Amino acid sequence: MKAAIWAGVNEVAVEDVPEPQLLNSHDVILKISKTVTCGSDLHLIGGYIPAMRAGDVLGHEFTGEVVEVGSGVQKVKVGDRVVVPSFVACGKCWYCAQELYSLCDNGNPDPGITEGLWGQSPGGCFGYSHAMGGDAGSHAEYMRVPYADVGCFLVPDGVSDTRALFASDSVTTGWTGAHLGGTKPGDVVAVWGAGAVGQMAARAAMLLGAEQVVVIDRLPERLAQVRRHIGAEAVDYSTTDVVAELRERTGGRGPDVCIEAVGMEAHSTGVQGAFDQVKQQLRLQTDRPSAVREAIRACRKGGSVFVLGVFAGMVDKFPLGAMMNKGLTVRGAQQHGQRYVPEILRHMESGVLTTEHLATHTMPLTQAAEGYRIFKEKADGCVRTVFEPGS
Amino acid sequence: MSGPLQQVLSRAASLGGAALGKLQHTRIPGVGQASTTEPAEVSAARWRAVTVYTDDLAGPFPELDALGSDLEVRMQAAPGGRGTELAARFHGSPTTDQIGELRAALRRTKQLAEVGEVLRVDPQPHGTRKATPQGAALEGAAARAPKEGVL
Repeated sequence: MKAAIWAGVNEVAVEDVPEPQLLNSHDVILKISKTVTCGSDLHLIGGYIPAMRAGDVLGHEFTGEVVEVGSGVQKVKVGDRVVVPSFVACGKCWYCAQELYSLCDNGNPDPGITEGLWGQSPGGCFGYSHAMGGDAGSHAEYMRVPYADVGCFLVPDGVSDTRALFASDSVTTGWTGAHLGGTKPGDVVAVWGAGAVGQMAARAAMLLGAEQVVVIDRLPERLAQVRRHIGAEAVDYSTTDVVAELRERTGGRGPDVCIEAVGMEAHSTGVQGAFDQVKQQLRLQTDRPSAVREAIRACRKGGSVFVLGVFAGMVDKFPLGAMMNKGLTVRGAQQHGQRYVPEILRHMESGVLTTEHLATHTMPLTQAAEGYRIFKEKADGCVRTVFEPGS
Repeated sequence: MSGPLQQVLSRAASLGGAALGKLQHTRIPGVGQASTTEPAEVSAARWRAVTVYTDDLAGPFPELDALGSDLEVRMQAAPGGRGTELAARFHGSPTTDQIGELRAALRRTKQLAEVGEVLRVDPQPHGTRKATPQGAALEGAAARAPKEGVL
């Protein structure tokens, strides 16, 4: 079958690879209908997360049709049209019982790598390196999904594949940040990053009752999407002092909840941006945390900062003093998708949550290298490139 | 593949596994087990434990039994309804390899009790694997990962 693979630093290729097999009784095989680029893939492709082996299949946000089921699968049936969260979760361990699915004890068969790095291992993630379990990704014609009864969600008839696709990761990640960040009715929420995850965090905050939501980015086409499709306020950080702007817009208080949806390759302006670039390239820090710093600076006293962007290791100049003295709650997580997908699909079906505008570019999987190029360069107004393996 | 290149790749795979083994004893603040300051023989004598999310955990545990009669096993209820703590340690002075086998066996035992089977990952679909030392090192680290970590 055809699959888009990581071939080396900044190299994506499409190759013929073996088809996946059922390996456990709880597995299913999906025929992938749509699979989409994610900003966190760029960390892998660029070599910032050095646990990719040449030939690994990329992709972790997808929809598909079930074509084969393992002997132990009870709910999922051949022919089901499903969306699957990016994280592999067993549904049986204590973390899954707490609905903290991305922390599943039994989702990563190679826990020694992340335990060594972080002291504990989160669950596995499709197409996200051997540190995160080594499961092949979704940029392929077919894909294996373990723990299928826990991870596969039937897409309602009234929801298109393109809309449901983003329930796999963008919306679920955004929802995780808005919900676990503690968004309450009446809150002011600020979101750093107007990519798909940031936009969906903003929309989730609105659906959770936030009264005012502000999204921060520098790309005009993304800020326009925020205004038009999300219904939130938009701030261009390249022309605006973000902390001053947020203070002015919030009566001097600062946002109640600040959600960082940028990650380890954050862009920033001025001396700070140059400092982080140099330190990262010299491997004196692994991650660039400028949006996290700004969120901590901007947040109201006693407020909440949620780190949604993917970070892998160390950062420098972390404002621990501001965090402590302002009494902030700082929290982070990968997505606990299995908890939120049913609610998200209901919102998608009712029409209050739409995602089609994120799919600015759609192309056959055979054009994956070009699809990632325009996505990385943010060329032609690209927000996300969707691949269709069947076309 | 040429002989010297094969040797380089084999060496890289071995180093990758060894590097992962070293990581948990690294004392760079914030990386790995910064708290691992005790002598290796003290660390080797510690109980290794997993918490299994069931109140009805009962042996036999074939994965642990396979490690021989030098292994001591104990169980106790975890606080707050978190299940059962299953712990094991070797009598005497176990080798690094023995401790690695114990980690992997405890993880498999937990999965068997919670899920009913051990999650497999190989074989996975993949494209061309370039023969590079970095790639071989990563494969060595991934192969050793079930036996490593902080457990």
